[in-house]
Amino acid sequence: MASPVPVMDDISLAALTADPYPSFRRMREAASAVWVSDARINLVTRFEDIMTIERDHKRFASTNPGSLMNKVMGHSLMRKDDEDHQVERKAIEPSFRPGVVKNQWTPVFDGIAERLIDGFANGGETDLFGSFAAPMASLCLAEMIGFKDVSWQDLAAWSQALMDGVSNYGTEPDTAQRAAAASQAVNAAIDAVLDHHRNRPGPTILSSMLHAEHPHSVEQIRANIKVIIGGGLNEPRDSILTTVYGLLLNPDQRARVTADPKLYRTAFEEAVRWVSPIGMYPRRVTRDTVLGDTQLKQGDQLGICVGAANRDETRFSDPDAYDVFRDRHAHLGFGAGPHFCAGTWVARQMVGEIAVPKLFNRLTKLRLDEDRPAIMKGWVFRGPVSLPVRWEV
Amino acid sequence: MVKITFIQPDGSSREIEAEPGTSVMETALANNVDGITAECNGSAACATCHAYFEEDRLNSLDAMAEHENDMLDFAACERRSGSRLSCQIKVTEALDGITVTLPEMQ
Repeated sequence: MASPVPVMDDISLAALTADPYPSFRRMREAASAVWVSDARINLVTRFEDIMTIERDHKRFASTNPGSLMNKVMGHSLMRKDDEDHQVERKAIEPSFRPGVVKNQWTPVFDGIAERLIDGFANGGETDLFGSFAAPMASLCLAEMIGFKDVSWQDLAAWSQALMDGVSNYGTEPDTAQRAAAASQAVNAAIDAVLDHHRNRPGPTILSSMLHAEHPHSVEQIRANIKVIIGGGLNEPRDSILTTVYGLLLNPDQRARVTADPKLYRTAFEEAVRWVSPIGMYPRRVTRDTVLGDTQLKQGDQLGICVGAANRDETRFSDPDAYDVFRDRHAHLGFGAGPHFCAGTWVARQMVGEIAVPKLFNRLTKLRLDEDRPAIMKGWVFRGPVSLPVRWEV
Repeated sequence: MVKITFIQPDGSSREIEAEPGTSVMETALANNVDGITAECNGSAACATCHAYFEEDRLNSLDAMAEHENDMLDFAACERRSGSRLSCQIKVTEALDGITVTLPEMQ
């Protein structure tokens, strides 16, 4: 017999932001969905329940008339289902295919990583957030989109403002205004290069959108580029840092990975499981239904906590540990179902094959800075916001 | 009904009655056949429903799109001439009696 959604009113947004995992564990143990008063949403935290949701978009829709994301970014493919979603997804695929990533984007990413490391390699210490991970993700993204004359700092600031706007469940007016300004700036950056890409087809995302069998309208381009700026910057940035952090915290694993470089890919996958960069995303219940042990009502808003499901002890043994060598199981770090992360193969290459190995190869005896501890933050989006390191020069 | 035999890497096999109109991937998942992960649930985005189809029957399968072709190069196990993403193969009468061999990992 299914029970109504239980209420947890002792979990604060501040506690989730600082360290969501103890709260996620309580929610997983309590029920298939839990109403968290401070977040004003029903959170789903168990692995199997999320797989059920992602395999049934008739009951659990991505479309959402009241979506915060639609307000901030416009109606993107992230909040569409079925045919509407597939047409737009198919249009952008040529820029994201693994073969295109390998042949077109790898040399570009490689050059960016080398230049960034050149910038600080002689210094002996740096905070990898600002000197490496953020510019790496931002510069690579600008190249993939096809922007010209956009600084990495501007693109990173737009991404952060858009993401803050989307995760603004506390509805602060300042955050909403910054997101609106970023949205305008992105529109202008798109307008500046649209004709260029219209006239010169290439591997960029803007080119794919314009030259698809069903080309994007300007409105679709604007909304989908904003989603890509949100999902294409924070996530590789955070997973670069989380992978480095995981390896630096675990010298035994680091030694085995650096001795066998093909393991960097696994180190990246494990980092995305351990601290999933997108920790939570929404779905909407389309009719009264039962999920696991919980009764849901039509119109209920669900927060799909993949960050929690990736630490579900029924799926992963010792789930709080970073363990490159754990038994291989599919994780939900890239989501599941039709909205499975379009950038998966880009991230695997950029982070697992390029950014992280280059750091360990070029910075001798890389280690955490013993005087300045790393800081992890967030639950809707989570990763290190500071990762100070030292090495020998 | 269409009969499909799934063969595991260890050689064990199971014959399944598949429903026309579904995909081979969906047939495997619905019948708890091991060896198919299907993270993206049929969007040809994850390459975790890779399987080896009988080579002399490849002509009777749905044609391979460029996207699937690219994805197969990056599957976890080696690509062979019978390799397909099972989510892209619709069950039809033409598949009756086919064998589908699963790779060591996805």
